[in-house]
Amino acid sequence: MKYITMIATGITMAILASTGSAESVSDKRGLTLEGAKKVIAATVAEATRVNAPGGSIAVVDDGGNLLALERLDQTFAASANIAIGKARTSALFKKPTKTFEDAIKNGRTSMVTLGGDLQNFTPLQGGIPLEWEGKVVGAIGVSGAASAQQDEELAIVGAKSLDSMEMVGVTNGHAPLPVTYIESQKVAASFAKGGVLVGDDENMMHASRNYMVHASHREKAGAVEIHEFDTDIVYVLKGSATLITGGTPVGTKTIAPHEFRAPNVNGGETRKLVPGDVVIIPNGVPHWFKEVDAPFDYYVVKVR
Amino acid sequence: MTTQMFLCVTLSMTMLAGTADAQLVEKTALTLDGAKKIAAAAEAKAKAEGARVVIAVVDESGSLLLLERLDDTQVASVNVGIDKARTAAIYRRPSKVFEDQVKNGRVSALALHGAVALQGGVPVTVNGKVIGAIGVSGETPSQDEDIAIAGAAIAISFTKP
Repeated sequence: MKYITMIATGITMAILASTGSAESVSDKRGLTLEGAKKVIAATVAEATRVNAPGGSIAVVDDGGNLLALERLDQTFAASANIAIGKARTSALFKKPTKTFEDAIKNGRTSMVTLGGDLQNFTPLQGGIPLEWEGKVVGAIGVSGAASAQQDEELAIVGAKSLDSMEMVGVTNGHAPLPVTYIESQKVAASFAKGGVLVGDDENMMHASRNYMVHASHREKAGAVEIHEFDTDIVYVLKGSATLITGGTPVGTKTIAPHEFRAPNVNGGETRKLVPGDVVIIPNGVPHWFKEVDAPFDYYVVKVR
Repeated sequence: MTTQMFLCVTLSMTMLAGTADAQLVEKTALTLDGAKKIAAAAEAKAKAEGARVVIAVVDESGSLLLLERLDDTQVASVNVGIDKARTAAIYRRPSKVFEDQVKNGRVSALALHGAVALQGGVPVTVNGKVIGAIGVSGETPSQDEDIAIAGAAIAISFTKP
């Protein structure tokens, strides 16, 4: 289950990299309903453990808007709104609500008027911000337990439960793919003629996979290759070759969608590749194994 | 026991029948567990339809028992969902009734105290008695109500402890 979501509000990073301009939008982390339910469950478990006489538990997002609420059996009805108010106040000020109760108690009575423009401002102990890696992603408010003190103790336990939560981004929202294992004989057989180890089950890559793996083998020079989307990560195993990268291809033809070939290239950088070398050729960069000392074997991960 | 007030989980009808002039009555009340079952049924339907909604469950008096805002639901639906549920609970009828009245020319239905004339609130009924209500907000009025009905319908399976 995933509890925290990345709210991607733009493609800033790519733009940033190319233009160096200031950030206009940013990523932010938000609590999911699953996460809110888990916070409530942890709080209810604690309420049961300490034999609290009741409790309303509210979880709001970082804007103070209610995400989930539960009112335990026998808890007085007004506690639901008080719990929402505590949570909202805590989220909008990113502080425990006890801060406000204490300030007012200690003589700063005028603080009660903060309520004016803020809907449901509730300066009562029992609201605690929910933090994820140092950022406030929401808040929890508890009302209706034995005392304001117990309200807050329960809220703290609920807030702590967030430490053990996962983020949606870990698998980008879908189930992880199975592990791939290719035994050595099969790998060796692929290198003998050159072949695709992973990714030959369709023309394009698998919808939820962004890589292919090739066991490449060359007996002679190839053509200039340009991959519109694929970055090649090459590890040389056997033989040697002269690799030319960059430059301006001459007579470019499209051989498949997003795949281009040319017989020659003007300019570019020349490198001599030997076993053990690693080369990373970003997408869009022309590359050409111009001279090959056969057999030339190299392992390629194509990343899209 | 006779002088104490019961506000919980037992049936009144049999008692009432026998003692017409009793001072107290037992009522069936919705528990948090029941509210969770209602919300779960509504949530299942919403997710099956890809609906982004707030689901609010209130008790017989219209006070909030449980609320869920599904991921990516507009935040304004929190209060609208609670309002619809309260309307259905305290008036003991679907909130659509009032929306229809307004539509059909009875504009004064907008002045009903504590009510919103918006489709999507549905009473939860056990043995013919309203014990609470569910309110749904976020999608179209009829889809909101369909999801609320799916939640309220689960009450037919409710049992007492």
